[in-house]
Amino acid sequence: MKEFQETLYDSISQCFRIDKLYYESKTEHQHLMIFHNAFLGRVMTLDGIVQTTERDEFIYHEMMAHVPLLAHGEAKEVLIVGGGDGAMLREVRRHPGVERIVMVEIDAEVIELARKYLPNHSQGAFEDPRLELVISDGMEFVRNCEAGRFDVIIADSTDPIGPGEVLFSDDFYAECHRVLKEGGVMATQNGVPFFQLDEVRTTRRRMGRHFADQTFYSAAVPTYHGGIMTFGWGSDEPALRQVSEKVLAQRLSEAGFQPRYYTPEIHLASFALPRYLLDALEE
Amino acid sequence: MSSPAAGRALRYGASEEEKARYHGLARRHGTPLLVVSRERLRVQYRDLQKRLPDVSLYYAIKAFPHPAVIETLAALGCHFDVASEGEIELLQALRISGRKTIHTHPVKKSQQIKAALRGGSTTFVVDNLEELGKLTPWRHRVGILIRLSFPSETAAVDLSRKFGCPPEEAPEIAERAQRAGFQVRGLSFHVGSQSLSPQAHVDAIEQCRRLLERINERLPHPLGTLDIGGGFPVDYELRGFDYDAYFQPIRRALERLPRDLHLIAEPGRYLVAPAVISISSVIGKSRRGGLRWYYLDDGIYGSYSGQLFDHARYPLQFPDGEGPRSPSVLAGPTCDSIDVIAENLDLPELNEGDLVIGRMMGAYTAATSTRFNSLNAAKIVVEEEDFDVG
Repeated sequence: MKEFQETLYDSISQCFRIDKLYYESKTEHQHLMIFHNAFLGRVMTLDGIVQTTERDEFIYHEMMAHVPLLAHGEAKEVLIVGGGDGAMLREVRRHPGVERIVMVEIDAEVIELARKYLPNHSQGAFEDPRLELVISDGMEFVRNCEAGRFDVIIADSTDPIGPGEVLFSDDFYAECHRVLKEGGVMATQNGVPFFQLDEVRTTRRRMGRHFADQTFYSAAVPTYHGGIMTFGWGSDEPALRQVSEKVLAQRLSEAGFQPRYYTPEIHLASFALPRYLLDALEE
Repeated sequence: MSSPAAGRALRYGASEEEKARYHGLARRHGTPLLVVSRERLRVQYRDLQKRLPDVSLYYAIKAFPHPAVIETLAALGCHFDVASEGEIELLQALRISGRKTIHTHPVKKSQQIKAALRGGSTTFVVDNLEELGKLTPWRHRVGILIRLSFPSETAAVDLSRKFGCPPEEAPEIAERAQRAGFQVRGLSFHVGSQSLSPQAHVDAIEQCRRLLERINERLPHPLGTLDIGGGFPVDYELRGFDYDAYFQPIRRALERLPRDLHLIAEPGRYLVAPAVISISSVIGKSRRGGLRWYYLDDGIYGSYSGQLFDHARYPLQFPDGEGPRSPSVLAGPTCDSIDVIAENLDLPELNEGDLVIGRMMGAYTAATSTRFNSLNAAKIVVEEEDFDVG
């Protein structure tokens, strides 16, 4: 196979040239590939779907980490579910106020492969002393976790078909709500609504049951093609969405790092949703 | 007593070269064997492409689900008709994209739908609203083909009894599917298999043409695909079947369709039947009721299972054995009395170790063979070389 053709949708498909194939697994349960594309750099795909590329991963990971962390402002305990490539960890650990990062990944092999073939994703993040790495099913982990442990939960999941399926379930949102501290927030990967409007509807229904303030924010990640993708947002504290630009800028400057995509302006603007999406949510 | 030998092609003897080839294979690999010719597969694929020039061919993996067959056809640009998780796994193991498949089983478990999607197979066949409902969670990702039933009186295997909706129901299914947010790609049908008359295909194509016209006048999203199924016959009787005469009316019917319509066919038998021969050995003989009985190491529960499930009568060749012929019975190796391959055959005297060649044995042979009596299935050997398909 000299090119990768995505198999997400029946009538439309994006196609990447494979300039060098680094890795291809075919276990009974999944088909994972890591290859180089001249424009995108290293690309990881799972079961025919683009997971991450070196060229545009910063948009996804920065938005998913910094929006909840800076909205919260004093997160100390952070849970990452999934995120085996290490890039979410890389972004979370840029916040010096975070004291402990628990990362729960179901597949140890993904971590090994990513460290070997996608080193720019983790950039040494797995060595962080604040990290507690747990190889386990995310659902099992939250189910067995004590209540009120985390300030921020980030569910960096794959597509809702396959191992990531449970991370889109009603039970998962309920357990996450339980293990969040008061005033905590969870952010989730929620797909490209232009092509899969049902995903926001379903998440609104399931997540909205457990959080007083449930909404979505968005960013356009070019290789998740189809325009903006959404991130699910769940918190009992509506004030987390009212933090001013000035305060966000202050928190960012105190954190002392330079994002490539994230700005306080984008942070606030990303909660503005297009009409078609609002309509779908209001149905 | 009926005569199962009626209509069965027999060939006595073989050229020295052929005989040497069969015995060489038997010595190298042991029997029973199924021998696949990659070259014959290629010949069949190109032949069908020529006969159905604007049709994308999706090999029906179920006919002979072997990696070498899939790989050989994939290299020629063939697509694949899959109906189960196992078939998708076969393709994945060969790194063939799900993009090159359609999932044609009209009835699926939700688990199978997910497995298909994970394997990249996104076009699904349905024939009722119940089944469509199962696809609802993925309605924005998948494409739908609506399967119609056109019962055939001439096919050896009627595929319209179990599946397919009456054509008059198709417009409503299409409309409701579109209203529910599905992308309806088009229509599909299976008129049955191994019909020696093209009329069922011709009639079905013509009905679909009118149906598509009617549906596309009404619906906001026109249907753009017609899947004409498979079932194209092969010449089991070796009587020089006139393929030109068979395919010409089908081609003409297709030419009356709109030029922008995507055409799909799902040939299984036509591609693979002539590309496989069976080699079995005589393992015992006896004389019963004035007949000679020969027991082979393959039979009805093995490679010849298609005689039962697929109603096929494979041509038989006897490269060995000389002398006067007398009425004989060929039986398989199991202890069941239905394990008889053929009766009322006029055969020369055969001896233990003599070979019996089954020809045209690619379709629904190994695929449906059993492990009855804990006998091993025939070993499958893949060769480059073509067979003499006379």
